Amino acid sequence: MNYFSLTKGKSEEISSWPHVFEFSKMKIQSVKADSFLMEENQGVTFMYVLDGKYYWTIENQTFTVFPNDLVVVFPGQLFGSLTGTFEVGTFVSLRLDVDFQDQSELRLGDWSNITESERRLISQIISQKDQSIIPNFKLFGELASKIESEIFANEVGYKTKINNLLDDIWICTARQMSKNENQGRIFPQTFHRLDQMLRENLSHPWTVEEMAATIGLGTTTFTEKVKAFSGFPPLNYLINLRISEAIRLLKNSDRSLTDIALDTGFYSSQHFSTTFKKLTGYTPGHFRKNN
Amino acid sequence: MDCIITIDINTSAVKIAAYDLAGRLMAFRKGSFSILYPQADHSEQDPEQVFITVLFVLKDLVREQILPSNHNIISIVFSASMHSVLPIDSRGNPLGNAIIWADNRAKNEADFIKKSANANSIYENTGTPIHAMSPLAKIAWIKNIQPERFRKTSKFISIKEYIIYQFTNQYVIDYSMASATGLFNIKEKRWEQDSLDISELKTTQFSDYVSVFNADLKLKPGLAKSLQLPKNTKIIIGSTDGCLATLGSGVFGEGQATISISHTGAVRVAGKKVIKDKENRFFNYILDEETYISGGPTNNAGVVLEWFASSFRNHPSIVDFEDAVEDLFKEATLVKSGSNGLLFLPYLLGERAPIWNSNARGSYFGINIKHQPKHFLRATIEGIIFEIYSIGKILEMYRKIDKLYLTGKYASLPICAGIIADVFGKQVIVSDEAENVNKGAALLGMIDAGVFKNLEEAAKSITVKNVYEPVAENNDTYQKLFDIFQRLTNKLSEEFEMIEKLQ
Repeated sequence: MNYFSLTKGKSEEISSWPHVFEFSKMKIQSVKADSFLMEENQGVTFMYVLDGKYYWTIENQTFTVFPNDLVVVFPGQLFGSLTGTFEVGTFVSLRLDVDFQDQSELRLGDWSNITESERRLISQIISQKDQSIIPNFKLFGELASKIESEIFANEVGYKTKINNLLDDIWICTARQMSKNENQGRIFPQTFHRLDQMLRENLSHPWTVEEMAATIGLGTTTFTEKVKAFSGFPPLNYLINLRISEAIRLLKNSDRSLTDIALDTGFYSSQHFSTTFKKLTGYTPGHFRKNN
Repeated sequence: MDCIITIDINTSAVKIAAYDLAGRLMAFRKGSFSILYPQADHSEQDPEQVFITVLFVLKDLVREQILPSNHNIISIVFSASMHSVLPIDSRGNPLGNAIIWADNRAKNEADFIKKSANANSIYENTGTPIHAMSPLAKIAWIKNIQPERFRKTSKFISIKEYIIYQFTNQYVIDYSMASATGLFNIKEKRWEQDSLDISELKTTQFSDYVSVFNADLKLKPGLAKSLQLPKNTKIIIGSTDGCLATLGSGVFGEGQATISISHTGAVRVAGKKVIKDKENRFFNYILDEETYISGGPTNNAGVVLEWFASSFRNHPSIVDFEDAVEDLFKEATLVKSGSNGLLFLPYLLGERAPIWNSNARGSYFGINIKHQPKHFLRATIEGIIFEIYSIGKILEMYRKIDKLYLTGKYASLPICAGIIADVFGKQVIVSDEAENVNKGAALLGMIDAGVFKNLEEAAKSITVKNVYEPVAENNDTYQKLFDIFQRLTNKLSEEFEMIEKLQ
């Protein structure tokens, strides 16, 4: 296995990706004092253990990290080892320049191809508290070694390929987190989380597949469960939330009908108007006048 | 064929059921919405989502089940959970979300009112125990903590009044709902001045009060059209879930009591007189002009089972709450009555009746080295039922109770019904109705349609599905355990305070 430590400004190998602060694979053979002090984390750090057993602390919580576990540290969090050292073993560390101060707003930068609304969704999933560690996440190891070989092989298209792999890391991390979060849970709890996520992202063009994946279920099971629990197929439940929010905006704001339609996730004011009327008996304009 | 539609708006779902004039269930549909928990102690509902859900479910039910079979809808009867508070401005727009019964933010206001000089007379006159659940305390909280919202408020209404307003453009409140606000005089049937004075309120800040049978409201023409309802559909204002569940389980006369176990629990009786409890432990709500529903609510029923299922059981995949709880009951049969002397105090969420102590906390007592997870499970179920029994036992000081009628999704599970019979040492009856609240509402509609003369006749129409007889030997065991249960609860009141401060 090759070991390396690439840092921005020092290593030519990663100069094509200014948003990568650090990418390294380290083998620790002996414990060195003050090699890993508690410090405020810059950017978002992914630490993935290949070998050994580590005790890492994020803010006030210490995690025991085993091989194939991934630790995700956000900007500004105190991160390090309470002993100030790295234990013997091997790990990959990837640190990205990402603005994530306002926990719900992950700002990746121009290099990323993740769409605006998917980015918001990903931010929400990974900003869930107490999700600093993702146990047994081998996929991250695979992605990291792909990045490694792209960096050192420099084949055609490698600059783009690495950015794509970085996007992949965000997406796969979010997916894994939502799966973990919901495993073994009782459905009402899961549903409650979905409900919150839908409310906070009403304008996102949700598909059933996406909703299902967000809470880690297959589409068929998801649809059945939602129907049985809420009485509505997933998309109808979403329409409930959209119309409810639209009513609130119609009553309490002067915003145009088109703005309200788009804000609440209808693709046109026509679509909004038809759906609204079907349910309430009034067009949005008429409804507003009556109030 | 003529039919009656009943709409029950509870804390997490709306249930709509249609009945024919013989009282047979013809169609049923439900739709859920989320309870919102913006911060600790706060539980809210989004009024617009509740409204849209009601419309959606009603529309589907009418279009897909009622119209195709050529039924003729003669009336719609409403029911809803008690104690919600929704402040609205002068244009009828909600000022924020509705605060629901489970919300505990008004603890301090409730304590303050409880210590005031006329606390006893307020309780006696309004029938509602002074507690954070009561709109009386909630409105005081809004005045103290959100003066701006208070100032903008033109009316304080409940979720039910909001929905009825959307249907009819009128603000009206039924006696049952009014009697659960802590602001309504249940004897003289008018707003209670002493209660209004606490937050300097005027009667114009509340809806007009009417009987549960009131049918003067007119459905908005636009809504009638979009819902495909006949223009002359009667809107009967109806009552509350607690009152209607009692009626709908067939409880009306002497010797009968209802036990409800769903998310929360309650023991209720019906009678011509209010129960005057010196310690202010019981509620007295109005059902109709001559009938009061009295009893006590517990916070710690189904929700404790849910806690147990999700904290101490590994589920292979995402499971439904109902399935998880049913599995718990099955597993509990592996242990003998009395859980080998393991005892559980279920006060996870503080407690309302009979101890009315928000600081009470749960506890397992008597653990020995032979107790296994299954004993803890059975003890948990028994603890919940002991708590129900402790309410029932005090109620018996005022009313004779011979037979228990069960309602709520968990109470009527056979194993649960058996334990209730054994703990109380009384006969337990499970009715044929799946949805007692909707059925209770339907009975009001049937009285309006002239099918029954009065509530008593209506209640008698409820048929029995199963009867559970108590086993004397088990009752003996339970009586001994219950004695310890009560002693512990009494002894621990100081320790409850102490531990609550550390949480």
